[in-house]
Amino acid sequence: MASPLTARIAEQHASVARTLAARLPGAARRRLAMETLARTGLPGSRDENWKYANLRPLERASFTPAALTPPAAGADAAVAAALPPRLADFMRYVFVDGVFAPLLSDAPGTGAARVTSLAARGDAADAGPAVPAPRHEPGADQRFALLNEAFATDGAAIEVTAAPEAARLELLFVASAEAQLGASYPRVELKLGPAGRLVLVERHLSAAGAASFVTSAVSAELARGAALDHYRVQELSSRAIAFDTLAATLAQEASYRLHAVGSGAAACRSTLGVRLAGEHARVALAVAALGDRTQVQDAYALIEHLAPHTRTAQTFRGISAARARVAFNGKIVVARDAHGSDSRQSLRGLLAGPEAEIDVRPQLEIYTDDVRCSHGATAGKLDDNMLFYLLSRGLERDSALRALKWAFLEDVIATIEVPELRRQVEERLAGAMQDGAALREELI
Amino acid sequence: MTRAATPMLAIRDLVVTVDGKQILNGLTLEVAAGEVHAIMGPNGSGKSTLAHVLAGRPGYEVTAGSVSYQGRDLLALAPEERARAGVFLGFQYPVEIPGVNNVYLLKAALNAVRKARGLPEVDAFDFLGLVREKMQVMQIDESFLSRGVNEGFSGGEKKRNEILQMLVLEPRLAVLDETDSGLDIDALKIVAAGVNSLRSPERSCLVVTHYQRLLEYVVPDVVHVLVRGRIARSGDRTLAIELERRGYDWVSGEAA
Ligand SMILES: Nc1ncnc2c1ncn2[C@@H]1O[C@H](COP(=O)(O)OP(=O)(O)OP(=O)(O)O)[C@@H](O)[C@H]1O
Ligand SMILES: [Mg+2]
Repeated sequence: MASPLTARIAEQHASVARTLAARLPGAARRRLAMETLARTGLPGSRDENWKYANLRPLERASFTPAALTPPAAGADAAVAAALPPRLADFMRYVFVDGVFAPLLSDAPGTGAARVTSLAARGDAADAGPAVPAPRHEPGADQRFALLNEAFATDGAAIEVTAAPEAARLELLFVASAEAQLGASYPRVELKLGPAGRLVLVERHLSAAGAASFVTSAVSAELARGAALDHYRVQELSSRAIAFDTLAATLAQEASYRLHAVGSGAAACRSTLGVRLAGEHARVALAVAALGDRTQVQDAYALIEHLAPHTRTAQTFRGISAARARVAFNGKIVVARDAHGSDSRQSLRGLLAGPEAEIDVRPQLEIYTDDVRCSHGATAGKLDDNMLFYLLSRGLERDSALRALKWAFLEDVIATIEVPELRRQVEERLAGAMQDGAALREELI
Repeated sequence: MTRAATPMLAIRDLVVTVDGKQILNGLTLEVAAGEVHAIMGPNGSGKSTLAHVLAGRPGYEVTAGSVSYQGRDLLALAPEERARAGVFLGFQYPVEIPGVNNVYLLKAALNAVRKARGLPEVDAFDFLGLVREKMQVMQIDESFLSRGVNEGFSGGEKKRNEILQMLVLEPRLAVLDETDSGLDIDALKIVAAGVNSLRSPERSCLVVTHYQRLLEYVVPDVVHVLVRGRIARSGDRTLAIELERRGYDWVSGEAA
């Protein structure tokens, strides 16, 4: 199916294929990705699970990596200014438009976590795939990950071995290029060895309010007993367009906690896929999304229980204000072999404007009897009784509304166990709630 | 003749409808500064409606009559303005607000009220001292401070928490809607002590209750009986005792 869009992607890929060939993930993998994309095309708004995403910008987008053109004058200063304060005890690695920026980063670690820039690895690793080959059925949609694979300019390859203390890494992806100059392709390939432990902060931001087009891909393999605490913060400029794909596979007794907070971008779509492949593997997914103005925040999360005694806890809290659209589709599949599994889902959406849209959808597919599942999904307005109670105590209407929205997000924010990160995220959210002028009028 | 002082609260011929249904039917009531009035009356007679109208809850339409508070038109004020002007409603059903903690609410409320009185924000140290002292009066454990507002509180704990808020805010006019319902004997005494500690010549209190027991501890100056949206009878504290003995039919019959 060669739609005009896929034809254009192929054309743009052809023109940069030679430049990219030497870099990971390697020419062979890139070719394979392009072949698959030519067959499947990128998702369209009529596809199942894509109707809430904003896919229109793709029609105009340039897929050529922005990193291949020299940066504009003054770009460095804008990038430096965009960096948040450092987190204590975290190694920091910065990527600008998808390319490692050594001058802004710590030296590659020598401890339990080995961090390498994918570009630096060159041809050597071309022989064998560093990431499991993408699967299409079943599993979360990998098509944007394929796009990333075809065009990626660089990325972080992280290998973690067991150590007494969990390794702590912060990856900052700064988007500085305007979309017409090209796209950026942040990429992370994570491997946690047996009992390896990692606290990872993955943060996406913009320099100088750039209207960038960002397509990121993260893959994580957790070996037996590994533990990953993954903080994902999306704070791109309100003009950016972002697609991200995350695929994680957990072996026996591995534990994965994902805390995702998205408040940036004009339109963002997250596609998350977690495979609980080993017995007693467990995942806790806590996602918060804040949409204001005309923002679109859309997420799809698929969790597959493939082995016995696996556990899921999924929490989503989304606020949609003004004319924003916020959607979360949480699908949990419990396979026939996954007896003794336990899955809990709590999805809540808050509608904070008469023209805002919110959609929270739980989906359960269960192929075994021996399973415990509880799920709840609600979408509605702020509770009038709560608001009146606070007003009756003298609180300003604005403060009362903010407190209630705050409380609504609390279930997710409270899971952030890195104090400075939590403070930074809270400050950003408080700011976002404050300037949402349309937000406050319409709550009652 | 001596000139009467401006009453704390003067309600005249108040008519209120909710969802098109008329609930208050020309209610008239006056509370002088320093007085405690009790309002009794059968279920559904309009006691909570009156309390909510005084606090400014949306959804109540005042179709006739007036309410003046310290000489000001109370109905013209937004709920938060009323609170800042010194009106406090103790809810019959206090609302649970998970995620907003008690101490945040107490501090935000106190600062809002102080600001309206021209006072600076409370110092963090003084605030904790004040709250601790009032919590001791209400016998509420300090661990409640960090919990969500009323979240998971028992019925009695919620009511004590209402009075704690009242003690911290020191309102001029407290409207307590069945604060005594659901309290055990000890808690009733604690709540009564809390209310009495605020009694002063500049403060007034409107106590809605079904039971004469509370009135043994918080002795009212006047007792009113509300029947079908108006005051059917008023008297001194002995009226409460008589009501307990003879039931509401006795007054309802007369009012009909
Ligand atoms: N939204 C509404 N629509 C219609 N009727 C209502 C509404 N809200 C309250 N009412 C009615 O108004 C009447 C008065 O209610 P209110 O709560 O004021 O009674 P109350 O005197 O406080 O009773 P109780 O002693 O049981 O607390 C009741 O008949 C109630 O059903
Ligand atoms: Mg009532």
